[in-house]
Amino acid sequence: MPELKHGFKIDADKCNGRMNCMRSCPTHAIRVKNGKARLIIELCIDCGSCLGLCPTGAISATTITFAELDRFKFKVAVASPALFTQFGLKDTPAQVGRALLDLGFDAVWEYSVDIELIDRAIMDCVKSWPGPFPLISNSCPVIVRLIQVAYPSMVEQLIPVEAPREIAGRELRRRYSQELGLNPEEIAAIYITPCQAKTISILQPAEEAKSYLDGAVGISQVYNDILSKMRKVTSNEVTPKGLVGTGELLYWGSPEGEFPELSREHYLPLTGLTDVIKVFDDIEKGKIRNIEFLECHACPGGCIGGNLTVENLYVARSKNLHLLANMPKPALEFEKEVERRYAVEDFSLRGSVKPRRIEGEVVDLRERVTRKKRADELLKALPVLNCGLCGAPTCKSHAEDAAAKRADLNDCVFLSPHRIDVLRNLYKK
Amino acid sequence: MAAELLRESFEIQGQNFEKAGEVSGEIKVILRDLGIEAASLRRLVIVAFEAEMNVVMYARRGTLTLILTDEDANLEVRDEGPGIPDIELAFKEGYSTASDEMRDMGFGFGMGLPNMKKNSDELKVESEVGIGTQVFAKIKLNSNA
Repeated sequence: MPELKHGFKIDADKCNGRMNCMRSCPTHAIRVKNGKARLIIELCIDCGSCLGLCPTGAISATTITFAELDRFKFKVAVASPALFTQFGLKDTPAQVGRALLDLGFDAVWEYSVDIELIDRAIMDCVKSWPGPFPLISNSCPVIVRLIQVAYPSMVEQLIPVEAPREIAGRELRRRYSQELGLNPEEIAAIYITPCQAKTISILQPAEEAKSYLDGAVGISQVYNDILSKMRKVTSNEVTPKGLVGTGELLYWGSPEGEFPELSREHYLPLTGLTDVIKVFDDIEKGKIRNIEFLECHACPGGCIGGNLTVENLYVARSKNLHLLANMPKPALEFEKEVERRYAVEDFSLRGSVKPRRIEGEVVDLRERVTRKKRADELLKALPVLNCGLCGAPTCKSHAEDAAAKRADLNDCVFLSPHRIDVLRNLYKK
Repeated sequence: MAAELLRESFEIQGQNFEKAGEVSGEIKVILRDLGIEAASLRRLVIVAFEAEMNVVMYARRGTLTLILTDEDANLEVRDEGPGIPDIELAFKEGYSTASDEMRDMGFGFGMGLPNMKKNSDELKVESEVGIGTQVFAKIKLNSNA
């Protein structure tokens, strides 16, 4: 397996070991040793829970900068619908799209078409799926990675359909290279993302294929610029620039897809990792029956609650409802484009998602059982207070680290009271 | 028979629907953390859950024991309860003696034993009316060394 990449980095110089990240990590993927946080990369699912919590700002998302885009001749923005929920009630998606053009993008892709296409592809897939049910949406990269790490028996339930942003990247490259006579490599497909997890799905897709996108820019990265560009435009008039999409069609496509053909009883939308985990636990036991499709988003509230958004989730949600309520009827052009593309494009997922091997690769079952028994034994010596001072988030994870010889059991301050002084010196400021 | 690597037992309380599923949940975490490969893990968890639900629904109490060897995972369930008068009938899909309350909770559709049989490589049920039931399920592990 190639080295795993992640959508953020920890700056060791800035880290002063406050452990907020370690305590917030749902998969216990962070350890803090000698006052520095470090990631166990196989366990990280890129949920970004740690991102905003660092008091010294040592954890940052690896998005791309505008300077990196200069090597491309034609830059196209594929904006997550979450972007349009970030501004004032009177700011329309078309205005936001226009501001993206002013920022230097050569086109704003009419992404709602791709979202509609994938909604259809998902419905068709659900209808013809032989089982096992429920199928699970894969557009949230965190959900895919959560399943790879914590629910390996459910990988085959991830719906084998591409994410809408991927087919947007594929189609815009095809279209603009043809219309402008450019080399496909000269065109950049840039996702304007509400979270850092989409970056990792571009850098290293879980299905082990190459992404059709070239990078992601966080909403928070472009927020100020969009705001100032929008305020400078006095007229609401949007002037199309030749072939360039201007975002009139951006209305269609809410952050969470809608599947009117799937009945409410057979379709569950879920948001927030805690709730998703509860439901996944039940699915794994075979307890959830009669549900055909789960749409899952790791962030509470879905993508509009992503960690690279700016607006408060509840305000953004109200803006989204406002957008939906004022949505004009889909233009004929939109429906024609959906029909045209649905007939000619293939939306099935390239490659397949496999469980992520944690330790399985290095040692055999016998050794793993020995380690588990050793960890159970070692845990008996620990206080199970989960204070974290050893540098592991729970006593159980410390016992497991010690059993696998990744840590010294005596790092526990209850076993070695002198460690308090070591820590006092380390954290002295 | 392959050497036993691990044996762990869990108590199941009959009629406690609130806690139903916790034992199979624990078993899943153990097996997942041991890196049991996906297909076997899936079958194991389904069998453990159905077995646990049968105890919760019909018995007073029971124990579920997980026995792991190099080659397979075995689940042994022993309960104190009413027993099954006609085991062959109990294996028929859709046959159930569940009460309406159980059905309201989404259980008791007569798929428990058939589902366990489908998901295990060997399944044996022994029962004595008025005393209790014992279930032995074996699930082969794919070579995942």
